[in-house]
Amino acid sequence: MMKKTTSEQSATLAPSTEANGSGAVQEHEIVLSAEHVKKKIGKRWIIKDVTFTVRAGEIFGFLGPNGAGKTTTIRMLVDLIRPTEGKIMICGYDVNREPEKALAYVGSIVENPEMYPYLTGWENLQHFARMQPGVDERRIQEVTEIVRLDERIHDKVSKYSLGMRQRLGIAQALLGRPRLLILDEPTNGLDPKGIRDMRLFIRELAAQGMAVFVSSHLLSEIQLLCDRVAIVGSGRVMAVGSVEELVEDKEHLVIWELAESERGAALLGSLSGISVLDHNEAHLDNDTAASLTANSIITRTPEEQIPVAIRELVQAGIAVHNVRKLNPTLEQLFLGITEGETIE
Amino acid sequence: MNSIWPLVQNETIKIIKKKRFYVVLLVLLVLVPMFTYASMREAQENRSKFGDDWRVELQQAITDNQNSLGSDRVPEEWKKYRRIFIQQMQYYLQNDVNPNEPGGVTFTREFLDNSSSLFIPLLIMTIASDLVSGERTGGTIKMLLTRPVRRWKILLSKLITLTMFTSLIVISTFIICYGISGLVFGYSGFTMPVFTGFQPSDAGVNMDTVHAVDQWQFILMQMGLIWFVGLCVGLLAFMVSVLVRSTAASIVIMMAALIAGTILTNMASSWASAKYLFMVNLGLTNYLSGSPAPIDGMTLPFSLTVLAIWAAVSLVVSFAVFTKRDVLN
Amino acid sequence: MKPHASSSLIWRITSIASIVATVLLIGGFVYAIKDVVNPVGSTYSASESDGTTQTTGNSAASTVPPLSDGVRVVALGDSLAKGTGDDDGSGFVRRTVDLLQQKGVSAKLVSNLGINGQKTEQVLSSLDQAGVKHALQQANLILLSVGANDLFNGGEALGNLQQQTPDASQMLKNAPETAARLKQILTRLREINPDAQIIYLGLYNPFGDLQELRVPGNQAVTSWNTSVMDIINKQPHMMLIPTFDLFQNNLNQYLSSDHFHPNGTGYEQIAERVVQSLQ
Repeated sequence: MMKKTTSEQSATLAPSTEANGSGAVQEHEIVLSAEHVKKKIGKRWIIKDVTFTVRAGEIFGFLGPNGAGKTTTIRMLVDLIRPTEGKIMICGYDVNREPEKALAYVGSIVENPEMYPYLTGWENLQHFARMQPGVDERRIQEVTEIVRLDERIHDKVSKYSLGMRQRLGIAQALLGRPRLLILDEPTNGLDPKGIRDMRLFIRELAAQGMAVFVSSHLLSEIQLLCDRVAIVGSGRVMAVGSVEELVEDKEHLVIWELAESERGAALLGSLSGISVLDHNEAHLDNDTAASLTANSIITRTPEEQIPVAIRELVQAGIAVHNVRKLNPTLEQLFLGITEGETIE
Repeated sequence: MNSIWPLVQNETIKIIKKKRFYVVLLVLLVLVPMFTYASMREAQENRSKFGDDWRVELQQAITDNQNSLGSDRVPEEWKKYRRIFIQQMQYYLQNDVNPNEPGGVTFTREFLDNSSSLFIPLLIMTIASDLVSGERTGGTIKMLLTRPVRRWKILLSKLITLTMFTSLIVISTFIICYGISGLVFGYSGFTMPVFTGFQPSDAGVNMDTVHAVDQWQFILMQMGLIWFVGLCVGLLAFMVSVLVRSTAASIVIMMAALIAGTILTNMASSWASAKYLFMVNLGLTNYLSGSPAPIDGMTLPFSLTVLAIWAAVSLVVSFAVFTKRDVLN
Repeated sequence: MKPHASSSLIWRITSIASIVATVLLIGGFVYAIKDVVNPVGSTYSASESDGTTQTTGNSAASTVPPLSDGVRVVALGDSLAKGTGDDDGSGFVRRTVDLLQQKGVSAKLVSNLGINGQKTEQVLSSLDQAGVKHALQQANLILLSVGANDLFNGGEALGNLQQQTPDASQMLKNAPETAARLKQILTRLREINPDAQIIYLGLYNPFGDLQELRVPGNQAVTSWNTSVMDIINKQPHMMLIPTFDLFQNNLNQYLSSDHFHPNGTGYEQIAERVVQSLQ
């Protein structure tokens, strides 16, 4: 099972001094940590408690529905917003106290990669390169090649497609050879091929030792991309754990389309470990719910029980038209974590 | 990141590439020929009336003003202006110097005199109002502020850039004015004498301190004062640009303030405490040419102080807000 | 690569230009403050300039051509010279010029220096002003109208009507000094412009339609005109154009609504007399 975020977990954080100023990337070195970060805007607590750590070389997912506080948290990570309480450390520096040191290790895209449309891609990169020590023309050329923009780099950004802007955004994030890359919904607005390229690209960066922090509201994306994930809801980190723990551990929902649905449902219900759910209590996402017929049967089934159930059904002479295993939705995850409490 | 110059370089390139400065130059290139043409027509008309005799022309202007002094329908403040004008013009005649000696230089001097309180501040505003709100409107502020650079440094680099462009705008105004009007009026007149040091008082003008300077010196002084005015207006527009999210809104706010200043200057005098408003103090060049101030008690040091205080306050506000504020979108 | 070259070129040019400009402007600013706050008066002499200004001086009188080569008019004096009361503002001065032109004489109004309410004293002192002198030197015909304001105190006599009935002696109280100043004026004019024809406009009695003032007004105006004639007759190229007889019985027709200045018709009559006197 996943660990709940507790004080016990934050106690496992390495002391921040450990990472101080060390040049070489060590395995498992903590690059980013947030400790009980809170933010009050007006009279409302937008962020109630956010605690997590990100280590070098890992892809860390920040998963939550829209409005959960993901963007506000990211803005706090890069010093756009000052936390009301709590501390954010990047490579040993407090982001809010010493932003000029902490941010030197960070490359980020907050929301959309908005660049200066009246400058060329190259001029944009030059612009940001001048704001960082140790970035020369060769590095600009390098990142341009990394994101494969070399052909169009001298065009005005206003003529770029969304995908090209996204790539230019990544290029500017990579300019300063960051140890932490923060990407806010990086696949938003990309076509399927773009999404796949982006995924491969992020993997590659992580493999080189970079810590990558990715926010998303799509569980599937996080599943495909991330090593570890924090789940946020209503301004709080509800759980942090590895993606395997998160997904594998769950009982899967299975949708059955049988020739004789009533007899089938009774049979399935009698099998050990399988429970038949009412359509409403299953909390399906909209697409799946729309595909259901009145005869569809939804069960909660441990993975290893699926072949057993099929055999039983066939032996009982009930024709099996279709069996679909559903990945858990974000909402179902929440249900698991909060044990029945719904998202506020 | 120790040096501020790369940041200033960034801001400069952005202003140039965003074509903000070109707009300013374009406005000048369109308007100056219009003013030149108008001035040329006026000169032609006067020539047909007075021939080439500027002394008669000037004396006629004096006489016309003297006549209006006797009229009950002319408000008392205007009479004060006219009395001072009469005395100054008589001084010019007495010294046999033509205050309006036709030429590109004289045209430029007159243009600068008239553009100090509204025209040049407006030009500077087009750049100042966009400096911060432009980054907000475009969303690039997030990219800008997530660099390993302190926020005050970013703001300072924008301020330095603003100062640089204020200087460039003032000088460009001079160059374009001189270049274009010279085509029509000729390029001479730099060494022509201009009288300054008139000290207007209620009784008229104190002539004791009047002295002649070469016209180029006069223009240099004018430009220096206009530069200061431009810088102060620029700083105010800059503050508004920090406070307001959209460039359009910040331009409108500043424009309203400047135009209110022009109106107040014309109504003036009865509301004495209006002299503490920055927009009433923009006509610094009037102190050079010796026209009376719009409100009693205004002198060059007074106006400079008022402007400097407004500018300093807007600087403090800009930095306080910019370095502390959360960037929410 | 070309694009980055353009960026750094822009930067180099702009930064150098703006630094030079800023230094220059700060210099100008400091200079201006010094000059305005601590002005040092000095008398200007033309030699300070390098000759771009005119050096023609004030001795242009001799270059004015005689009347026969074209009439060049300068008017001097009070509201009558200015033309107050005329519906279109021309006054007898402009009408004189227009009439001359209609007759085919080349004529030009160089300058009209008439100022409402001027008395002899002000006209006399204005003759010291460089501009006035210069304008007068450009003329070969000087039209002068002055004295009425001294005698009638700018129509004040009308206001005093209620309290007492003024008589001729009261109106003529100022006459001797006024005449003395007029004499000075004429002498100065002669000095300023030795050759021009000077025409003095005689007074009329504007109070002719007021019973109490009619007779004393007539006496005063006649007496004044006589004494002026006495001065003028002794000088060359000077004459007095009488208006007394012109207005005496035509006040309603020739006076404007203020009952003091002539109207357009009145001015036209005066102009005709001036033109006649020139032929």
